[in-house]
Amino acid sequence: MSGRLLEGVRVVDLTEVWAGPMGASMLGDLGADVIKVESFPRPSSITRTTPPAPGGDDDPPWERIAIHHMANRNKRNLTLNIRMEEGAEALRKLIAEADVYIEAYSAGTVDRLGFGWEAVRELNPNLVMLSMPGWGAEGPYQGYVTLGSGLDSTVGHASLRGYPERPVEQTPPIFHTDATGAVALVQAIVTGLAQRDQTGAGCFIDMSQAEAFAWQLPGAFAEVTMNDRLPERLGNRDPQIVPHGAYRAAGGEAEDATAESPPPLQESAWVVIEARTDAEWRGVATAAGHPEWADLGHPWATVVGRLRARSEVDAAMAEFAASGTAEAIADAISAAGGIAAPVKHHSSFLTNAQFASRGWLQAVEHRYMGVQLMPGFLWQLEPDAPSVDIAAGLLGEYNADVLTELGYSAEEIGAFEESGVIGNAYPG
Amino acid sequence: MTQPYSGVRVIEVGGTIAAAGATKTLSDFGADVIKVEPPAGGEVRRVPPFPDDVPHLDRGAYHLALDTGKRSLALELSSPSGVQVLLDVARGADLVVLQVPPAEAKPLLAALDMLEGDAPSTVTMTPHGLEGPLADHPEDDMSIFARTNRMLRHSYTGEEPLRYAPFVPTMQWASSTTAIAAATIWGSRRDGERRSVEVAATEALSGNVDSWYVPWAFTGVDLPRVAGARLGFPNGYFECSDGLLLFSAGTEPFFSRLCGVLGVPELATDPRFTDPLEKPNHFDEFMTHLGPYLAARTRHEAFADLQAHGVMCAPLLGVRDAMEDAQAVARGSFVEVEQAAGVGAQTIAGPPFRVRDDSGETWVARAAPTLGQHTAEVLGEAGYSAEEQLALFRAGVTA
Repeated sequence: MSGRLLEGVRVVDLTEVWAGPMGASMLGDLGADVIKVESFPRPSSITRTTPPAPGGDDDPPWERIAIHHMANRNKRNLTLNIRMEEGAEALRKLIAEADVYIEAYSAGTVDRLGFGWEAVRELNPNLVMLSMPGWGAEGPYQGYVTLGSGLDSTVGHASLRGYPERPVEQTPPIFHTDATGAVALVQAIVTGLAQRDQTGAGCFIDMSQAEAFAWQLPGAFAEVTMNDRLPERLGNRDPQIVPHGAYRAAGGEAEDATAESPPPLQESAWVVIEARTDAEWRGVATAAGHPEWADLGHPWATVVGRLRARSEVDAAMAEFAASGTAEAIADAISAAGGIAAPVKHHSSFLTNAQFASRGWLQAVEHRYMGVQLMPGFLWQLEPDAPSVDIAAGLLGEYNADVLTELGYSAEEIGAFEESGVIGNAYPG
Repeated sequence: MTQPYSGVRVIEVGGTIAAAGATKTLSDFGADVIKVEPPAGGEVRRVPPFPDDVPHLDRGAYHLALDTGKRSLALELSSPSGVQVLLDVARGADLVVLQVPPAEAKPLLAALDMLEGDAPSTVTMTPHGLEGPLADHPEDDMSIFARTNRMLRHSYTGEEPLRYAPFVPTMQWASSTTAIAAATIWGSRRDGERRSVEVAATEALSGNVDSWYVPWAFTGVDLPRVAGARLGFPNGYFECSDGLLLFSAGTEPFFSRLCGVLGVPELATDPRFTDPLEKPNHFDEFMTHLGPYLAARTRHEAFADLQAHGVMCAPLLGVRDAMEDAQAVARGSFVEVEQAAGVGAQTIAGPPFRVRDDSGETWVARAAPTLGQHTAEVLGEAGYSAEEQLALFRAGVTA
């Protein structure tokens, strides 16, 4: 790996779905040797089960699934049927020699399989183990199953977002806690390694993905605890900032992309416009061709004046936004010192001049998907910049390598293949 | 008590929510975080809410929650005297986390280079990165969000795109920064190499797993952005006797399990419900089973019953209910911190993860500092005499 921050750290990744695989990939980006222990013969949830990209007739569909490519880079893929004793034994050997072991099954699952903390600490007293079920390893919700959208609901965030004028049940589900859980995984592992350095012994980390998100909402909780009131659903409004909204621009996206090849690029149909200060407002006013809106004496020139004229300012912004494309409006405002942005579709990743100038997109070659432009890293690092050294792992691609490192002979590995302890294709 | 980052020193520069959020977890896990902030008080101290809605630089909710355990150095960085103080404070530190506009960041980074062997690693947070055609565009929480694909995904086709709750994108940027900051501290201590890290907000948000770019790029298709419960039901919010329950149970094995709970296991193998093209036409019939079941139960009753059978669902909770929810209470998801600044104990979110070993509490949220509370202490540690500190204060460099 090109990253060196976590060089030499061996990670056993048992996670499925979104947050765990993505976070473990980030450990790989930073140079850790991440071994993805992939469930076998049961396909991993979501990353191996959702509809694949189109491909050749003989190409395995499970190697062409987008989310697998997004969330499983920079890992060595090892299939193991840990419900068979030989598979369980191989996992025990792997954990015994690892620094880190991560799992995200519903609470209690790995304990039943013999891979809970009490069992693995016996195998390896220096192990850092992270359990990250949705609601955490302990508590009354033990064993409950959820996706990120469920966590968003119980943390209270779903009650705060969505269209203020529409019923709450029409709030679009989101999966923000997966993004949060992924970066919290990295924090947790590094923190565990740091604690191991301090104490000379391993540790267990209990991460609730709900809690890993909750601290991102200090304002909402404080409304309750400081002032005994429930925060409102604001939409794009801000109580103290005018303007602060999304406005429809001329032209732009009409419908979502449908199946076409290649997919069409979508223009922005909306532009957000904000002015927190008088200086930013001067930028907006100048771009709108009305610099006088920012001159002392004009009713909109001040913070308070704009608050008092919220609907008039909003109407003026709507009219201004409709006079050009979202890009043109946003560029004019930004250039004049205001805050504005086109509301982008992800097709814009391909045309984003900023991403291009920073070389953000990564061209990744994969046996069944050819060369794909993939999203880049969350951070840029010098001197050891991350790179995609291993594309999304083929099922069992590193079986022989990893098992050989664990001391298994070629004959034993062959026997494992024969009996279905390992494999590189799902049966049937 | 042994904390993971005991002995680690981090300098936070900028006074923003993003910078404060980025170093909070390091502070709570034991790092000495020195918060270098503008004497007028930065964004994190100015954003509401405040107790009784009375604005106060030391009493804002974001500050009280995100600046826990830090030391405050009020320092004006616009003069050579101010920058020199920063250098003296940063000398030998593990990390400087910086969030100021690129035009201000670049000279500060160049100045930190002057420390040579004593120069800390740096993590620079900017909306777009230090260089490039958009680098100097001013941005805010919502405009950053708009420039990623998230805001558009958070809407229905043809309708106004929406932000998440205020500052959630900013806080996610901060969380991403904490991750690389922690790794930089740990890795650089190990190999002795100094690192220069950039976390651009648009990249940190666009590069994470909830980006819909890759599914679109692979298939040319986007998940439809449509309101309504008929698609792949039950998927979305459904009404119980006292509120809403979110289902993600339209696919197997969850749909079969749900049909079992409802006493109609045969529906799980009925082509009217297994054929994705047919299924939407039979929503009303399905609701004749699910509707009465939910109407007879509260959110939590249905949640507990369905989860006992492995059906993926979750109650929609308001913020107060979320804080009082059984799981949150049992785990201590919220903690009280005895704060300075005359506001007594305040409740904030607890640890993002819990490190358990034999050394006791590893995460501790201590009081957030008042503005400039530790200016004299930090300047003293950096070798400034009392006379020199007076000179800096008189010149308007410190407060």
